Amino acid sequence: MDLRHRNNIRVKGSGSSTLVFSHGFGCNQAMWNYLAPQFFERFRVVMYDLVGAGLSDLSAFDKTKYSTLDGYARDLNEIIDAYAVGPVILVSHSVSAMIGTLADRHAPGRIAAHVMIGPSPRYIDADGYVGGFKLADIQDLLDTLDSNYLGWSSAMAPVIMGAPDQPALGEELTESFCRTEPAIAKQFARVTFMSDNRQDVIGLATPVLILQSSDDLIAPVAVGEYLHSVLPNSTYCLVDNVGHCPHMSAPQACAEAMKRFLAPWAVSHVG
Amino acid sequence: MSAELFDSAACALAVTAEDGTILQANSRFSEWLGFSTTELCGKRFQDLLTMGGRIFHQTHLAPMLRMRGSVTEVKLDMLHREGHKLTVLLNGIKREQDDGTLYDLALFGTTDRDKYERELLNARNFAEALLQEKTATELALKLAQAELSDAYAISQRRALFAEQMVAIVSHDLKNPLTAIRMASDFLNRGERTAKEHQLLGHIGQSSERAQRMIADLLDFTQARVGQGITIKAAPLDLHEVIHRAVDELRVAFPAANLVHLAEGSGEACLDADRVQQIIGNLVANSVAYGDLQRPITVTSRLGQGRCEVSVHNHGKVIPEALLTELFEPMTRGTDQGSDVRSVGLGLYIVRELARVHGGDVAVSSCVTGGTTFTVNFQPT
Repeated sequence: MDLRHRNNIRVKGSGSSTLVFSHGFGCNQAMWNYLAPQFFERFRVVMYDLVGAGLSDLSAFDKTKYSTLDGYARDLNEIIDAYAVGPVILVSHSVSAMIGTLADRHAPGRIAAHVMIGPSPRYIDADGYVGGFKLADIQDLLDTLDSNYLGWSSAMAPVIMGAPDQPALGEELTESFCRTEPAIAKQFARVTFMSDNRQDVIGLATPVLILQSSDDLIAPVAVGEYLHSVLPNSTYCLVDNVGHCPHMSAPQACAEAMKRFLAPWAVSHVG
Repeated sequence: MSAELFDSAACALAVTAEDGTILQANSRFSEWLGFSTTELCGKRFQDLLTMGGRIFHQTHLAPMLRMRGSVTEVKLDMLHREGHKLTVLLNGIKREQDDGTLYDLALFGTTDRDKYERELLNARNFAEALLQEKTATELALKLAQAELSDAYAISQRRALFAEQMVAIVSHDLKNPLTAIRMASDFLNRGERTAKEHQLLGHIGQSSERAQRMIADLLDFTQARVGQGITIKAAPLDLHEVIHRAVDELRVAFPAANLVHLAEGSGEACLDADRVQQIIGNLVANSVAYGDLQRPITVTSRLGQGRCEVSVHNHGKVIPEALLTELFEPMTRGTDQGSDVRSVGLGLYIVRELARVHGGDVAVSSCVTGGTTFTVNFQPT
């Protein structure tokens, strides 16, 4: 299996520790373009697309393997084994935070620390737990996906009306941004929003930085606080931001919090 | 753009801040959603969507607007003030200002088109479900076919094995039978009481019958699994050969009244032993199924390009259904009713022998005329 091809892996920067960036539901690694470059000087940076997203190898999408987050977690550990140098810090957005948690559980000690951006161990409310959603909301999302992939599933790319200040990133990556094969997108949406990883996060001893948006529909503040309470080694950082992607809309605040947290591993690559 | 043009545009227009807060909305927007433009300003665009739309906005739309600076043709369900849904198509584009980023949004009502698209979507899902069903059925069929062909291969191997075993056993039985016949012939030559002669006669007849059965079996297996039955044809006098054969058969079947008719004259080039075997099998068949109160007639015909022998008996008519498969080996329809004839290897061998001579065998059977088997050695 050619990992680089399967997960569209890109390696940037240099350092004695490795930051692995894992994107969330709906997008691809291009979403890191506002944040990741700030770490190229002090870290080896590995970015990849989850199988089924972005420019990953769609033929590698095995329905059974990816019917739970475990399949993605196994991929992540393979990528870490093949591409990481020194201690590994996983920077994960949204559902990838749980993929990282599972990867950590599978290979304890391999991941030295987590930076979780907008994490949620369970999206649907349960007795005594507030996830923020009802089952019907998720059904409604699948319906919206259906509506939009009706047009998107064709070969025709959505017309770009002009993109001022478009950051420098691979043209194809931008093109593939948020474009997913409809059947894969629906399965991933189901796997993501129906998952319950509370038992996996509770008591995870690895140091974790939780970057919580002050206003996030997908991962509300209550969820971030819940995670802080069940992760014994966690640092909680509330970022003043509206929306689920503070690493895109408030990259500076995110980067500063991360740099403080990552100080023990940040070694400048000199000479 | 003049304020009037903005307000009365045929689509809903809005300008939002980076976080989605509506800064400006036209009267079409307010008309469609049931909020006044003043009420709309300050609300977040995403808060006007259904929950599915809001999640989609967070996970797809907002990142895409930020990353690519524009989105087109995104279909969303918005909620009217009174709760009902309004399906719209959204185009959005990012605009950088000195004091921050703005998004210009244009919404087109698409409720009817949405219904049509949903019908299409349902039809596609239905077609996919059918296709899946078809694929599953085809797979099951393939598996069944594979099983069937496996079973067929196994049964073929078994049949071949059985036929080979018959061939070996038949061959091995020949020697002890020959020994029995020679011994009984030898004993018959000495002084014997009448009872002893009778018993020796039984031994001789029984071993002859057994030898004929074995000969049939050997011919059968030769025809089926071997190289086929071989013959040594030579010029012969057909009438003479048949005459001799009938004489011998009279001894073998003392209860039957055998009549030989010789018609015409001419040449014949046949294997005498095989011709005798043919007549033997046909007569044995007639003795088994015919009416023994009336004669069994063996006719040999020559001349005018003809070379054939036939055996006729007055027996019960052979059912039509059985006629077609009469010459197949081991055709026994006993489960089809008590009146059905039991047919073994004899007729199959007759047909095979006729065929190696270049001819064939035919049968006719009717209530008034009785049953006639005709072997034609020179079909024209």
